[in-house]
Amino acid sequence: MSIILKVEDLVKYYGEGENLVKAVDHTSLQVERGKFTAIVGRSGSGKSTLLHLLGGLDRPDSGRVIIDGKDIFSLKDDKLAKFRREKIGFIFQDFNLIPSLNIWENVVLPLGLDNRRVDKAEVNKIFDKIGLSEKKKAMPNTLSGGQKQRTAIARALVTNPAIILADEPTGNLDSQTEIEVMSLLKSCVSEFGQTLVMITHDETIAQMADVVIVIEDGKVVSRS
Amino acid sequence: MKTVSQIAYDNLKYHKSKNILTGIAIFLTTFLLFIVPTIGKDIIDAQYEMVNEIYPEWYGSYADIDINTVHSVSAHYDIGTWGLQSDVGVIPVKDVSGEVKFSMIYMDKNGVDLSKQTLAEGRFPEQENEIVISKILLEMLGMEGQIGDTITIPYQLIKDGGYDYKEEGNFVISGFLEQENAATVFISEPFLQEKLSEEDISYQFLFQLGNVEHATTDNVEDTINEIAKQFEISEKNIVINTSYLEANYVDPAFLQIVIVILIIVVFAGIITIYSIYYVSMAQRVQEFGRLKAVGATKRQIRQVVLREGMFVALCAIPLALLFGTLMTRVILLLFVNILEGNGNLSVAITKEIIAEHKIAFFHWWIYLLAIVVTLLTVYLSLLKPMKMAGRVSVIEAMRFQGNTGRNMKSRKGYDEIRIGRLAKNNIFSNRKKSLITILSMSITGVFIMVVATVLSCTSPELITNTDFNGEYAIIPIVQSGDKEHPEWEWTEVQKNNPLNEELEQKILALDGVTRVDMFSMVDVGGGLFEEEDYGEDIIGLPKEYAKELEDGIIEGSATWEDLMSGDKVVIDDTLVRWYPELSVGSKIQVTIHDNDRDYEKELEIIAIGDYRGGLTNYNCMIMAKEAADSLVSYNVNRYAFVFADKEYDEALENALFEIVGEDEMETGLEMRAKQTDYKLNKTMFQLVNSVCYIFLGILSVICIMNLINTMINSVNVRRKEFGMMQAIGMSDGQLQKMLFAEGLFYTLGTLIVSVGAGSLLGYGAFLWAKSEGILGIRTYQYPVTIAIIVVITLVVVQAFLVLMLGKSVKKESLIERIRFHE
Repeated sequence: MSIILKVEDLVKYYGEGENLVKAVDHTSLQVERGKFTAIVGRSGSGKSTLLHLLGGLDRPDSGRVIIDGKDIFSLKDDKLAKFRREKIGFIFQDFNLIPSLNIWENVVLPLGLDNRRVDKAEVNKIFDKIGLSEKKKAMPNTLSGGQKQRTAIARALVTNPAIILADEPTGNLDSQTEIEVMSLLKSCVSEFGQTLVMITHDETIAQMADVVIVIEDGKVVSRS
Repeated sequence: MKTVSQIAYDNLKYHKSKNILTGIAIFLTTFLLFIVPTIGKDIIDAQYEMVNEIYPEWYGSYADIDINTVHSVSAHYDIGTWGLQSDVGVIPVKDVSGEVKFSMIYMDKNGVDLSKQTLAEGRFPEQENEIVISKILLEMLGMEGQIGDTITIPYQLIKDGGYDYKEEGNFVISGFLEQENAATVFISEPFLQEKLSEEDISYQFLFQLGNVEHATTDNVEDTINEIAKQFEISEKNIVINTSYLEANYVDPAFLQIVIVILIIVVFAGIITIYSIYYVSMAQRVQEFGRLKAVGATKRQIRQVVLREGMFVALCAIPLALLFGTLMTRVILLLFVNILEGNGNLSVAITKEIIAEHKIAFFHWWIYLLAIVVTLLTVYLSLLKPMKMAGRVSVIEAMRFQGNTGRNMKSRKGYDEIRIGRLAKNNIFSNRKKSLITILSMSITGVFIMVVATVLSCTSPELITNTDFNGEYAIIPIVQSGDKEHPEWEWTEVQKNNPLNEELEQKILALDGVTRVDMFSMVDVGGGLFEEEDYGEDIIGLPKEYAKELEDGIIEGSATWEDLMSGDKVVIDDTLVRWYPELSVGSKIQVTIHDNDRDYEKELEIIAIGDYRGGLTNYNCMIMAKEAADSLVSYNVNRYAFVFADKEYDEALENALFEIVGEDEMETGLEMRAKQTDYKLNKTMFQLVNSVCYIFLGILSVICIMNLINTMINSVNVRRKEFGMMQAIGMSDGQLQKMLFAEGLFYTLGTLIVSVGAGSLLGYGAFLWAKSEGILGIRTYQYPVTIAIIVVITLVVVQAFLVLMLGKSVKKESLIERIRFHE
């Protein structure tokens, strides 16, 4: 099985002196293509920072993140943005939909930013999958939390990225919706042959993953 | 309430950048509200002070009245201080240019005071043989003398309405006039009574009014005319000291101008401050929702908004007043310097008054006015935001997701999303806000364009050329109703008109003269013009102006032959405004005043035209010169315009001066040089121009504040949104492009409204200025330079803002932006 994501000796500290926070402390890990990997840790363990670094949303103090064979921090900001929209799909805890765009537009936005043509049939397939075909023209503020997160999943899938990074995607959802969303996410990943890296503090959700990496104080403490 | 104030104060600090912008807008509004009336009042005060220094103090005078009328008029309830003057005779003195006549005047003590006659030394005459003279008279008589010396002086008494035979008298000098070259001598009352019979003594009754403390110049003039009517004093014997009255009483026109300017400032202020709050209010829905959730009432939330605004105002107002106070002197001195080139006496004295701080520069009521009006402006601007904040519901606030604009459930949208569409979506998702922003930014632009149009349609050259033909104008001195100079009556001038063939030939013979155009004027009255005193004369045009006359016709038609008939006239459209019943084809009955002979005549209006003052010389009926001349028996040449081969030729000007004569009174001619008029117009024009553009400049800054606020807000409110888009792959370049597209929309919108509506309204203003004859405006000139400056300024400011905002967004890391919450 090939390695899609490789993290080598990644370091990200915040603050100085007594206030120094070692958010990511000499962390190394690997994610295999097509696998669902969960990064688990308590609040403040540095898992969010790690995910942001994996997605190139933030730059590390040292170390490398290699996605699909490319050291992402060797890229300049604009190149990195381009890389992100081509290779990485994001799903955030608070959905991060653009309030002034309708659901369809939110989903196809990454394609537009990448100047790619929209393959309507392909996008419609995703909409069918997430069960929001009737809501394409709806505005985000009219949707429930679960529907919003399903939209965010569709947005992450639409560019057919090399890897999907999900930051506590069910953190803002009730337990019933949480299960729905997780099932959807998992089935999407397998159906579209995606690699998913998800951070969560919820052990139950982590159990749905193929691989679970546990983080404590910015360091990987176990992998199973 | 203390908590409410505390929240407002905390908000003030929290929304620092927005409040700084509001503060600048309030600062500038206050500054304008302070500086406009202050400078206006100071300049006028300085002018009035100048008038008070050099003009006599009487409000009006009734000439040619006998002592009995003096007694009855002086007893009138409205007459305040009064004095008498009587012309006793003249002292003829030989001079290089002929004979000069010094007036021999008697004035009582009040007359002396009201006329501001002052002595360098000595006292006014009391004994019959005492006299006060000027140094120049002694010099011209070839004499020397001190106070107490007896001198022999020739004089002619005024008897039976004319000068009597010359006689000589011995006088003891009792004083010397301060004005060394005054052509006046003062004699005593006993001399007047001794030399003239009661029938020959006529008085000029100089007076001020009582009971007019708060009156306007119009009231004072009405009262003066009313009293004259009561005592059957003929209108032509009334002289009103307009300059002095204007200096001491309020001129309603001045107040109107100041009020109009202040209304514009208040309007711009309200629009800007309102727009700043309106734009930022949407961003703060959650903030007010939270307050509501913890139990704040509608009233308390409104108070939070009001107090936040008032805190800002309380910081900005004192600073603006302080700045205004410091700037007053600087601006006044600037005016003085612009005026300085003019070189006339009144300007020099005005300058001295300002430079030496002889008037109070600051007025407590203007400070109060600025404070009250600004606070009112802020309050009015805050009304709507207060209402909006108060209306926010807790649920709405909790569900609030940022700038969603209209409360839409769904939207058709696009199949594909590109940067341009994103920008368009941002703009059109809240049309009302975008429209308010564009309109509020455009108002100043429109105003700038309107003023610029009016200013571009005029220039010192244009103002001068409108009134002038050729390089010099030679005009006989004509003054109606001046008892002192009956020879200046137009009927008298005609009998021995110095503007004759001989003079024309003399001028033509001068080196550099290419042409002399004579215009004649026939005095007309009666019929339609029975009561009005406007446009009642016929101007006779030389043939050289036939083309200009024809070109100016807006209705009807006229050939030169028609105008040679003497029965047909072209009228200026100004006349139609006064007499709307007039049209092409109308026949008007008029009385032609052919000196002492009046006769009736019917004139047919064959065309209506629109002409410059130089063509009509501000008369409204036009015919060919020959035709006008043939209507009367004397020489009615009224203006001679001299054309030269050079714009300004000192030698020619001197030669013309020689012809006109050094003493205008002697030859009865006066001369105007275009160059002099031009210089005067230039000074005035520079002054008007700089005042207008300084004012517009400050208004523009207020407008730019608005633009900055809109852009900053539109970026601030969407920081998270930008973060989200960047997280899913929007590059910095794309973000910058999107912001630029949005900015471009506002810029283009503002430009289209400013330049479009501004140009249309500017054209309207031009038509108005043209019809009112303001600043000599006649031809439309598009203010290209200003339009370009407006366009460039807007584009540059916008581009700069986009760059700065793009950079400021980048300063924050993506993570910070994604996590950004209110």
